[in-house]
Amino acid sequence: MIYDYIIVGAGIGGLSAGLNLIANNKKVLILEKNSLPGGLASTFKKGRFEFDTTIWDLYDFGNSEHIGEIQKLFQKYGLTTSTKLIPFNNRIKVLDTNEDYEIKGEFEEFVLWLEQQNPGSMEPIREFIKITKEVHDALECIKANNYQIEENFPNFTKYLDYNALNALIDLKIPRDTIHKMSYLWLEIGSPLNKLNFIDYANFMYKLIFKKTVVLNDKNIALALEMAKQFQTLGGKIHYNTKVIEIIEDSDTETIKTSDGKEYKAKHVICDLSKRYVFKELIKKTDKDINRLENARTLSPNGIYVYLGLNQDHKALNLTNYHYYQFNTLNSEQNVAKMTSLKHSTFEAIVPNVVCDNASPENTTILVLRTSYFGNVFDKVNKNNYYKVKEELAKHLIDQFEEAFKVDVKNYIEEISIATPFTFERLTNNINGSFMGYMRLGYDNSIHRLISEEDEKLANLSFVGNSAIFGGGFDNAFYSGYYVTEKLLNQKGSENNGE
Amino acid sequence: MANKIESLRQERKNIIKSYSAKNIENTYIDSEVSKTKDIQHVIVSEIIDESSDTKSFILTSDSSKGTNELAMFKAGQYISVKLNINEEYATRAYSLASSPAHAAKNIYRITVKRVRNGLVSNYLLDNIKVGDSLTISKPTGNFTYNSIRDEKNVIAIAGGSGITPFMSLALAIEDGLEDCDLTIFYSVRTYDDMLFKKEIELLNKKSKRVKIHVVITREEKEGFIHGYINKDVLAPAIKEFNTVFMCGPKSLYKAMNTILSEFNIPRKSVHYENFYIDYNPSNIETYELKVILKNDFVLATCKSNVTLLESMEQAGIKAPSSCRVGICGFCRSVLLEGKIKMIGSNMNKAVLDNDYIHPCVTYPESDIVLRLDI
Repeated sequence: MIYDYIIVGAGIGGLSAGLNLIANNKKVLILEKNSLPGGLASTFKKGRFEFDTTIWDLYDFGNSEHIGEIQKLFQKYGLTTSTKLIPFNNRIKVLDTNEDYEIKGEFEEFVLWLEQQNPGSMEPIREFIKITKEVHDALECIKANNYQIEENFPNFTKYLDYNALNALIDLKIPRDTIHKMSYLWLEIGSPLNKLNFIDYANFMYKLIFKKTVVLNDKNIALALEMAKQFQTLGGKIHYNTKVIEIIEDSDTETIKTSDGKEYKAKHVICDLSKRYVFKELIKKTDKDINRLENARTLSPNGIYVYLGLNQDHKALNLTNYHYYQFNTLNSEQNVAKMTSLKHSTFEAIVPNVVCDNASPENTTILVLRTSYFGNVFDKVNKNNYYKVKEELAKHLIDQFEEAFKVDVKNYIEEISIATPFTFERLTNNINGSFMGYMRLGYDNSIHRLISEEDEKLANLSFVGNSAIFGGGFDNAFYSGYYVTEKLLNQKGSENNGE
Repeated sequence: MANKIESLRQERKNIIKSYSAKNIENTYIDSEVSKTKDIQHVIVSEIIDESSDTKSFILTSDSSKGTNELAMFKAGQYISVKLNINEEYATRAYSLASSPAHAAKNIYRITVKRVRNGLVSNYLLDNIKVGDSLTISKPTGNFTYNSIRDEKNVIAIAGGSGITPFMSLALAIEDGLEDCDLTIFYSVRTYDDMLFKKEIELLNKKSKRVKIHVVITREEKEGFIHGYINKDVLAPAIKEFNTVFMCGPKSLYKAMNTILSEFNIPRKSVHYENFYIDYNPSNIETYELKVILKNDFVLATCKSNVTLLESMEQAGIKAPSSCRVGICGFCRSVLLEGKIKMIGSNMNKAVLDNDYIHPCVTYPESDIVLRLDI
């Protein structure tokens, strides 16, 4: 039996790829090493709390006016897991300027607030917003393989080789406003001087027009719904099945699994860390692949601290959905400080603020997370691991309590801590860097997109966080569709040619 | 086509070309921490008689089978022993009783008490000799002290062989691996039933942070508390803030909860190890069991008083399992047909809604069809 496609990994990207292929009547097998689908978008239970392993705001789901790609895919795949539109509800503390403020409501209110803070901000921001629309439209053309667009999209063309910081300066947005409006660089994973303007503008387009939604249910509910739908349509999933080798041949790919079995397919799609696949699963070395891998930088890794608190979030005074603390809003300087184990940048999320059913009545889930740039975990070994892990978690909780003058330590009923070691074990992401490759200089999403044809492999593709759109729930979900759609078109036209 | 997109593409190409074609750089985080093997091979290096029905097994790594170093663990975690007994596949979870510091020296200690009709415990006690090899899982489990969540003053309440995880915690404190003060109340029926007599005496003599009170229910013995663990027994150990760990039969938890509520110890500060499952159906019926595997299926029978996991194991199916009390999720399977009774599993709602079960705590109430991906 030779499958049309074998997908390795039932993460959100793999499931999305599977759903698109199965809708096109392909023979598809998904192999998943864990006993449940979801990958990073999974959920674990501790005591009476259900914690999502990773927490995502969806920037590309959209609303009734601006329908995002993920919403379209939900409809296409027949998914019914509900989502909820959420306004900004963020609190931000900046150490170097000693600022502590909230960003609330719609983007428009944010712009008015920025104008108040720095008069003269509003006009250039309005200009920037127009450009984000142009960037979005230009990217749609490129995604449809239309590269003859430079004349139609002059601003896109002008800023194509600008980093975000320089472009925003060129657009005459005051420096302080640039920093204040760009605090979500942390979500994108790169400082503004390394982030390409096109990547930045595309993200901001989604944020401004499509707004932000969250899943109304736990990650695992969506993953299970996707898996079920895939199986209902005739797709096969084998859980508890770890792939140990991928053998590439001219027209067939052979996959070996840890239970001694072999599977064959015409094409393999990996919802896995690309670097892991090239380092561990494909034994044949390829110079071009090595060069490309060596030229790329893995995303920062990080830790998550999951807390189940035995009080209502309002009683604990946890009323914002997101909390952030930065050393400085200058992302370049801030990243430089995130190269030690105990730095001061972190994010906190209180799902109960937007979802009533996030945890049982009169309890709260609080998740603290941060990222590390550089090899900061190199001194951690099996003898000090548990100690370091608890120290880091304690450091994060202490920082949070001090920054926002709240008491959470006395209310902890459940605690769980995930480190890069945990994420590497769970998902095989090298160094636990589960956000794929960092967007740096020549390796932003725009560069990957325009080089896609040059760099693609004959019978092996990648979806999920390592795919061209970068890390994150939206990108992973969309990549599953985008990659398979291209394959279907390409293989379709090949067949027509025969 | 000398446009800007093309030049950007060319620039990327050139930069990539300038990089080394040698092997992709290595992972920097320590794979001994992130990639502990699921299976460990060990040799029994010593067997210690603890009481008339209990022995401790000292395990060391078996490098001849590829296990060079034993995985680290946190005091309170368990390993699962994997055996083949008369064509039956069987696994059992045992808390590690040794200090985590000994794991660094490739030593684990597990303590096994004879259970009436207990397949695995009897096999281990009657057949395993020094020098024999065993296959075990890596350590796992959440019944551990956490310096952030838990108070400095820790009260541990143990019933019978429920003492094992607390021995590990006591030794971890002595070895400087955990930072708390521990008072253990250890309930046994008779003096003979008391495990770790030497270790307990030594800890009570030497330790500044660990105190162990042995409470003997069925006989009076000099130097030991006679009767049951009650409010008066516990009172001297209770401070303003306390964390309580309990490990033993459910009846113990029930009795203790009543007492603990009198000390105003909040729910968040009390942790239990799920150690036993109690289920006694009124009628014992035999049903058909069909297990659909990835590329095969197995037909067998199951009984209303036997867990589906055990029925699968008796049929020779190597079903994955670890905790065997419904928590860890290793045995997770999909119930395709049939009526079941699932006791005390801790599953996400969406997973439950998708007909998943934990066979280790599930009893059949009709013919059953399961899907298990192995």
